[in-house]
Amino acid sequence: MDTIVTAGKLNSNEIFNLLKQFITEVIGEEFVEEMDISMDSSFNKDLEMDSIEIVAFSEKIKAHFGDKIDFTGWLSNMDIDELIGLKLGMIVNFIEECQ
Amino acid sequence: MSKFLFVVPPFFGHMSPTLSVGASLISRGHEVKWLGIIPVAGHHIPEGGEYIYPEEDLLPYQEELQHMLRRQDDGPNCSAPEVLKLAFEETYVPMARIMRNGLMRAIEEWGPDLIVNDCITFAGALCAHIKGVPCVTTTPVPPEVILNNGGSLPKITEWQHNLVRGLQEGFGLDSDHLLVHSRMMNIVFTSQEFAGVKDPSPHMKFVGPVKGRPNNAEFDWGRLEKAARPVVFVSLGTLLVDIRKDFFGKLIEAFAGAPVTIVAATDPAIFEHWPENFIASSFVPQAALMPKMDAVICHGGFNTVNDTFMNGLPMLIIPITYDHFHTAKLIEKAGCGISIRYKRLRSGEMRKAVFELLGNSNYRKAAERIRETFIDAGGNEKAVELLEECSNTPHNIHTNLHNS
Repeated sequence: MDTIVTAGKLNSNEIFNLLKQFITEVIGEEFVEEMDISMDSSFNKDLEMDSIEIVAFSEKIKAHFGDKIDFTGWLSNMDIDELIGLKLGMIVNFIEECQ
Repeated sequence: MSKFLFVVPPFFGHMSPTLSVGASLISRGHEVKWLGIIPVAGHHIPEGGEYIYPEEDLLPYQEELQHMLRRQDDGPNCSAPEVLKLAFEETYVPMARIMRNGLMRAIEEWGPDLIVNDCITFAGALCAHIKGVPCVTTTPVPPEVILNNGGSLPKITEWQHNLVRGLQEGFGLDSDHLLVHSRMMNIVFTSQEFAGVKDPSPHMKFVGPVKGRPNNAEFDWGRLEKAARPVVFVSLGTLLVDIRKDFFGKLIEAFAGAPVTIVAATDPAIFEHWPENFIASSFVPQAALMPKMDAVICHGGFNTVNDTFMNGLPMLIIPITYDHFHTAKLIEKAGCGISIRYKRLRSGEMRKAVFELLGNSNYRKAAERIRETFIDAGGNEKAVELLEECSNTPHNIHTNLHNS
């Protein structure tokens, strides 16, 4: 299942678990088992997502939260060092603030 | 007859097509030289040509140069934005600075009629601009990878452009234009169809793969003849050294004892024992070997990609870093292969993919379609025609074009 329909706002812990679920769906359970996914996981380095996986991940966020969260737009405005330093926790915060 | 100077980076994949085109130019009676910043063994250079290694001019940069070369092996452990940074800040820009003095001197001493700079060898176009020599750029990879991300990441584009402008200032060039590539002509060694480029700028010339560079590598042809079919060629190119053992270990896991022969282009010494159905060989005569293969596994180095589809073979591409991911997308889009990312590679999946490629004729048919587009692009003959055209045009016209 791609989406869990929730009426109210999610807290950061719920968002984190949701994103972790999206990541698992995108890159496969067998690879996630070898990772220790935390708020501090680097999106590019630790999760090793390539551009196709990032697109799939973005689509899941869009499908779940709808247009109020412009994850792709937020990403595309980053400079090179921001992209390198991007952590899962920053995405959680971004979503929490946009809700 | 004209004098052509190819300016090349210390990466064989980029240099390789220029050696093939250079050989064709020499056979037409032109004078051809190459200039690079690492020594290159003489047997790689076409007969009648010369490779300039400006040793003295490079002396002050040796430490920086060696560091830069070592850093290339870190590519597989870098994320995509880190790879971009490695490429621009730690490779292309310093390489141009390191190359500058030796290249300026060679231009002054030899007086080439045309400078041909590889797309990541920025010094070629910059020095040509300074010296008023016409310049053509060669691009061995699908073109949008370099200096253009389609506008989807504006801050990344801005960062790249600022780096290039800073480099230009260091060369004493004050221009808002990016002068590191020729705007007169850019020769791309693939077909427009395969590269998936719609409406390219008219100076982009897609000539397809070129061939004919010297390659006298030895190979155990007798063993291949006796080997069981199908035969699959596996190459990791020349650049990635550190991950060789891991990559070929997975390959052995997948295919030891399987009903297939694997020709592995790697130093056999990385393992004490190879399975019976593996032929491991350090350097291979790839162009001669390819027509005897049934499928290819590689990381997406562009010369192997070109050799593969020139022979209408299906490919399992295992992208690792750099531009491999872009190439993998092109291959999947063309339907001539399957892509499995190295970081997500399991030996079972690898085996399944290869037998799918061998058993499902759609992949081969798609590969043959790509082959047609490659042949139609014109290859060596077209490249030579274009280069001769540029070298025959009066210099002032080129300079004007450059400055426009």
